[in-house]
Amino acid sequence: MHRVLQQPFKTAVLVLVWGWLLLLVLTPNLLVVGASVMTRDPGTFLSLPLNLDSYRQLFDPLYLDVFLNSLYMAGVTTIFCLLIGYPFAWALSGLGKQRQTLLIFLLIVPFWTNSLVRTYALKLLLATNGLLNNALMGMGLIDEPLKMLYTEGAVIVGLVYLLLPFMILPLYSVFDDLRQELLMASHDLGAGKLSTFLHVTIPLTLPGVLAGVMLVLLPAMGLFFVADILGGSRNLLVGNVIKNQFLDARDWPFGAAASILLTVAMAVLLFAHRLSQRRLGEEAQA
Amino acid sequence: MRKLALAGLVAATLTGCSSQEEPGVLNLYNWSEYMPQEVLDRFEEETGIQVVYTTYDSNEAMYARLKLLDESGDYDLALPSTYYVNKMRKEGLLEKIDHEKIAGFEKLDPELINLEIDPDNEYSVPYLWGTTGLAYDANDVDGSEVTAWEDLWDEEYEGRVMLTNDMREVFHIGLRVLGYSGNSTDPDEIEEAYEKLTELMPSVRTFNSDAPRMPYLEGETDIGMIWNGEAVMGNEDMPSLEYVYPEEGTIVWLDSFVIPKNAGNPDAAHQFISFVMQPEISALISEDIGYATPNLAARELLSEEVANDRTSYPTPEDLTNAEFQEDVGDDAMQVYTRYWEMLKSGQ
Amino acid sequence: MNRWLPKTYLTLVYVLLYLPILVLVVFSFNSSRTGYRWGGFSLEWYESLFNNHAMVQAMWNSLWLALAAATVSTIIGALTALALHRYRFRGKRMLRGMLFVVMMSPEIVLAISLLALFLLVGLQLGFVSLLLAHVTFCLPFVVITVMARLSGFDESLPEAARDLGANDFTMTRTVLIPVIMPALMAGWLLGFTLSLDDVVVSTFVSGPSYEILPLRIYSMVRVGLKPEVNALGTLLLVFSLTMLMLSQWILTRSKR
Repeated sequence: MHRVLQQPFKTAVLVLVWGWLLLLVLTPNLLVVGASVMTRDPGTFLSLPLNLDSYRQLFDPLYLDVFLNSLYMAGVTTIFCLLIGYPFAWALSGLGKQRQTLLIFLLIVPFWTNSLVRTYALKLLLATNGLLNNALMGMGLIDEPLKMLYTEGAVIVGLVYLLLPFMILPLYSVFDDLRQELLMASHDLGAGKLSTFLHVTIPLTLPGVLAGVMLVLLPAMGLFFVADILGGSRNLLVGNVIKNQFLDARDWPFGAAASILLTVAMAVLLFAHRLSQRRLGEEAQA
Repeated sequence: MRKLALAGLVAATLTGCSSQEEPGVLNLYNWSEYMPQEVLDRFEEETGIQVVYTTYDSNEAMYARLKLLDESGDYDLALPSTYYVNKMRKEGLLEKIDHEKIAGFEKLDPELINLEIDPDNEYSVPYLWGTTGLAYDANDVDGSEVTAWEDLWDEEYEGRVMLTNDMREVFHIGLRVLGYSGNSTDPDEIEEAYEKLTELMPSVRTFNSDAPRMPYLEGETDIGMIWNGEAVMGNEDMPSLEYVYPEEGTIVWLDSFVIPKNAGNPDAAHQFISFVMQPEISALISEDIGYATPNLAARELLSEEVANDRTSYPTPEDLTNAEFQEDVGDDAMQVYTRYWEMLKSGQ
Repeated sequence: MNRWLPKTYLTLVYVLLYLPILVLVVFSFNSSRTGYRWGGFSLEWYESLFNNHAMVQAMWNSLWLALAAATVSTIIGALTALALHRYRFRGKRMLRGMLFVVMMSPEIVLAISLLALFLLVGLQLGFVSLLLAHVTFCLPFVVITVMARLSGFDESLPEAARDLGANDFTMTRTVLIPVIMPALMAGWLLGFTLSLDDVVVSTFVSGPSYEILPLRIYSMVRVGLKPEVNALGTLLLVFSLTMLMLSQWILTRSKR
């Protein structure tokens, strides 16, 4: 007891910090877990009895389809981000330091602009009466405008557009560490370019790749406004389902269960990331 | 020194913020594109009450939101459709309207007041009524072929159809096409409608209840459902947008002002209702957004052009086979909801 | 590897990244309402924006909220980072874990968990609920920024202060805070931006008593292609750019 009084500042700080996190992080998450096993109630949103119905509903073919499709869209988004981002990060890390700082700045500027507005700007481009169609028709490349909006593709484009920096930044940081020394070492040991790439670059950048994947895949499934604005009401993401269940359909147990699904997916990815880092550590020691 | 400033800043921001404590604020919760800005501006000028305007795109969303915010009295006015007035009234979600405080009620069309959904209009005051019908872009679609809901199922329109994002309305057309009533409570009929609608899904490009005219204007869809007021507004920007009363029967609905339980400023709510019910204002609204006003005195103030516009004011012939949207009860709603989710989620 | 290939590739990606934004800016000055023809230069959309009371109110609300959220989260975040760095106490891992969970969780998970909490507690959705939510998701970012600064820092100074008889609080105030100040400012700016930009969390925990900008924009965008949104977007872009350049300037200045 007297220890506490001896260090009032420390105690105050710890109380504040712990208090905030316990109240606003731990408790809400526990509430969601709790909600997922309760029953839907039209009046008060939640009621007993406890059951696993909402989890069973997750596997209802109707929703399973939506989730798998959402995973598909998020997955394709991640792959595209990787395909675009990997060479980008590599190219970026090869430039002079000053250039790099400037270019990172330029990369972040769009990211600091409101994401709704950027999604809307994409709509301007992709609309049937939109800029892209008008340009293509003006150049004589197509006769009829392409119907790009309200498709899966539009949603994916939107997601890639918003999430690309999240893939590039971790990759860049890994490439930054990696660049010169190891590549030279590999050369000195006689490895060819392709071999270096396959056996040195890829494994060493793997943690960066996984970090990027984590930062893109899960958020991609939650960005409901992209699906709303660019996908119409047909191409749904898990985020749309959750929003729907909480704000329209008022099926909170089901919405909570879907949310837990995302959290579990996140935990899995985190574990994979941890594993890759550990393996990297082991290989580095070897 | 810096710390004090910081603390002061925090204190200032934390205290200086909620606008609801001011006496002169009206929280109006309404459909989007359903109240001309001019009306809000004039109301603010005349009464000094600031209107905070929030929107929803479906009765379900509005209902869910009001339930969520329940006791907090955040909204002073909302505009549910007919059957939701009934539902909300029965569930005790509404405040009674004090008819002493509103002026102009006697000018309303006797056919549209004292309905089953709210006997004696204890809880609601009609705002606008309208129809949901067919729309097509004459530049891309042959108008002579568009006369019935059934036409939407034509393969020719694959990927070009727009439906309103309204569960009851979409099922309404499914039921009518099969010869059933759009207000059916029979689970078998509803299921049949669902099956019929799944056949339509490949043709549907998008659902939209935020502003149903926009997909047509933006060239994304060529044919589909639309609300008559949206058709009128859309026609101004794109004259090729046509409105058709379908053979099987158009859908008729009425939206009314209600005051949610525990509203923060019911006085302002009553004032706003009175303001809107002035014939001049009601006429303005009808002319601006294209829907029909239930206010008979306002009808007389309409310009020739608007009063004769069949889209806004249908003739009795237009309304043959028309069906008024009625409450189907909670049990049937659950059946509808289930099939609606299946319809929207199916890929 | 060819010299020009990487550079061309980089340029291409940047062009694609900026294209939608440039289109937005250009068309915000287009006097033609619909269609993609250039109708002539015009500021009317900006005018109409500022004449819209609700919009202006929402802008102010968002700014105030971001200010408050950034400030509160910087204070709590800095203290958290200090605690993690300097103090020994039980459950450090759990604390770190919770921060990590907040940072990595998809926003929507965060949003519904907080909504559930607020409803349970009976908190009216409005400014306070928004503030609590925004501070929570800004927190981990501030912590990381400050901890990064702390880790590269000379321990002898606080030790010296201790030897001179200063207690914990004074030492923190006079020694540590000036040192981490750049990180505090960077963290503050980051929090400010995150708060201003947030759509997902705000959709769930906001109430009509406190209208904020992203939600206003959302309803406008859902109605369709409106030139006012172009104007608003351009303004936001300019604003972000300014904030970003400000942060860069502060950081480079403080490095001396």
